[in-house]
Amino acid sequence: MTVALELIGLRKSFGPTEIIRGVDLQIKKGELHAIIGPNGAGKSTLYNLISGMYKVNDGSIILNGNDITNKEPYEINRMGLSRSFQVTNIFPKMSVFENVRNGFLYHSGCKYSFWRFVNRRKDVTERANEILQRIGLEGKHDVPVMLLPYADQRALEIGITIAGGADVILLDEPTSGMSRSETERTVELIRSISNDKTVVVVEHDMGVVFDLAERISVLVYGEIIAADTPENIRCNPNVQEAYLETDSCVQE
Amino acid sequence: MIQLLKKNSIWILAGFVILVLPLVFSSGFAISLMGLMGIMVIFALAYNMLLGQGGMLSFGHAVYFGLAGYFTIHFINLMSEGAIGYFPVSLLPLFGGLVGLFFGVLIGFVSTRRAGTIFALISLGFVEMMTALAFILITFFNGEEGIQADRWVGPEPLGITFGSGIQVYYLIGVWCLIAMIAMYALTKTPFGRMSNAVRDNPERAQFVGYSTQRVRWMAFALSSFFAGLAGALYALHFEHIGYEAAGLELSGEILLATYMGGAGHFLGPIVGAILFTFLKGVLSDLSSVWYLYLGTVFLLTILFAPTGIAGLILRHEPIWKTDVRLLGKMVLPYLGALITLLIATGGIIALIEMINFVADEYSQGSILSIYGIAVETTSFIPWLAFGFIALIGIGLCRLTFPFVTRNWDAIMDTVKERMLR
Repeated sequence: MTVALELIGLRKSFGPTEIIRGVDLQIKKGELHAIIGPNGAGKSTLYNLISGMYKVNDGSIILNGNDITNKEPYEINRMGLSRSFQVTNIFPKMSVFENVRNGFLYHSGCKYSFWRFVNRRKDVTERANEILQRIGLEGKHDVPVMLLPYADQRALEIGITIAGGADVILLDEPTSGMSRSETERTVELIRSISNDKTVVVVEHDMGVVFDLAERISVLVYGEIIAADTPENIRCNPNVQEAYLETDSCVQE
Repeated sequence: MIQLLKKNSIWILAGFVILVLPLVFSSGFAISLMGLMGIMVIFALAYNMLLGQGGMLSFGHAVYFGLAGYFTIHFINLMSEGAIGYFPVSLLPLFGGLVGLFFGVLIGFVSTRRAGTIFALISLGFVEMMTALAFILITFFNGEEGIQADRWVGPEPLGITFGSGIQVYYLIGVWCLIAMIAMYALTKTPFGRMSNAVRDNPERAQFVGYSTQRVRWMAFALSSFFAGLAGALYALHFEHIGYEAAGLELSGEILLATYMGGAGHFLGPIVGAILFTFLKGVLSDLSSVWYLYLGTVFLLTILFAPTGIAGLILRHEPIWKTDVRLLGKMVLPYLGALITLLIATGGIIALIEMINFVADEYSQGSILSIYGIAVETTSFIPWLAFGFIALIGIGLCRLTFPFVTRNWDAIMDTVKERMLR
């Protein structure tokens, strides 16, 4: 088994309050892994630690065998990890196309270059169009993103995240605020992404989680109380007590 | 070939305008003023790489402009003393650019570590330091006097000596065109796009692999390069450089010019720099309180047209793209507003000039000439008359301005309707 992402004894405090209290977690390469937990359990904090937004107090984070603990977000991104955000976090003054292109401009080898035109890079344009097709926004190429409907903005958020070709993708509540049909579209998108990537999802919609995930970790008050297959999680008494409704096991 | 010409038609037009202007305005004063405009256009565009493109508000960008000017002057003087070998004068702006780049890289490394308020304050710190240095390192900066040089040095290829003003004008013109094209091209590169991205959403830019500090630093360094290029031309233009060309005042002026022109569009700083230089060159001759008028115009821009002049013009873009004839409906309202505004400002300016005249201890006698009319300032009649004109003008403005708004709304409704159809 190859481990794509590993957290070892991870701890994070804000002032006197310890939010992440020793998290150990292994996510296998190619796995579609969901992290669930009640509000305030520390899911977003965990993402912010992994992606480099917050500094870790103790413990370490290993990405594809490399220690990424306390590295800068852009370094972590270049090492192969990309994340989306719970609140749509896109480039507000640009077109849909440009947003997606920004997602992998660095990775395409364009980096910081100021001696060539970005439009001349045919491969870059092609790749951006490919991503647009994949997230179902190919018809909205030139639309300013602030004019997009909410669900499209969420799709774009995922598009930017997967564009760079990182092999570990963290998605933060990708279906929040979506209608049933929009959620289904997003679930299909996530499934297709996970074909060749390791995907970690934080999600509140239990229907989505149990439908998608190959493995589920349950985070409660800064600790992982269980990490297992969906079936086992559903019937785990600790999880039921802490989080899930008690009859969820019977429902199956 | 034809396609290439078409694609670059705007630059060809710009080049043509630069070429012909001295034939239209051929007085020595006009040529000197237009040369200064070209310099300020480069400087304002360079400044906008920070303000508009990169979202960095600098209060001290004249430092790189001025330093390049000092180095250029010293370079010329060393050349004429024979201390160093000959370097073509026409290429000195490139040298100035490299000086700007050097200091931009150095100081930018410190100042671009943070964006926002901290960046603005650091820029203020450096410009104050610069001014202080000008009075400390006398051998280099020569304090208040500054340094002079004679740009007529070395061989004279094709008789080009830069002795006459027109030759310097064309030197500025060529460099201005090159700099404009180069800075426009920069906005189309990966760096240029990410500069915008970091301005709009620095957090996200980090998570797609970009160091925001690195992007800001590069923008700062490149901007300083073009500021330095402009600074070298400034030194050549005046054959003199002083601390004021590296200080807070010019730093503020370039901010004003850029903002008034419109930081959100590439055209903005160009329009702003030309207008600002014109106002400064002409108004400062007409009135000793011209800074008051400039400040008022700046305030009004911030309050009522935050996108600047370029923004005001481009607001009409959806209209002319839908149907040019619709613009015709705006002619009358705009004309009305303009006339009433002129009446109001005419009255107000006359009052301000009279107050200034009375308050100024250097005024002689009691008669002031306003708009070619001899006005007796000790009599209450002109005060009353101009006050009356101002009030009438303001009253009329209250009628004409809503007229503009009403017509505008009606036209925008039509435009939306046709777009949706």
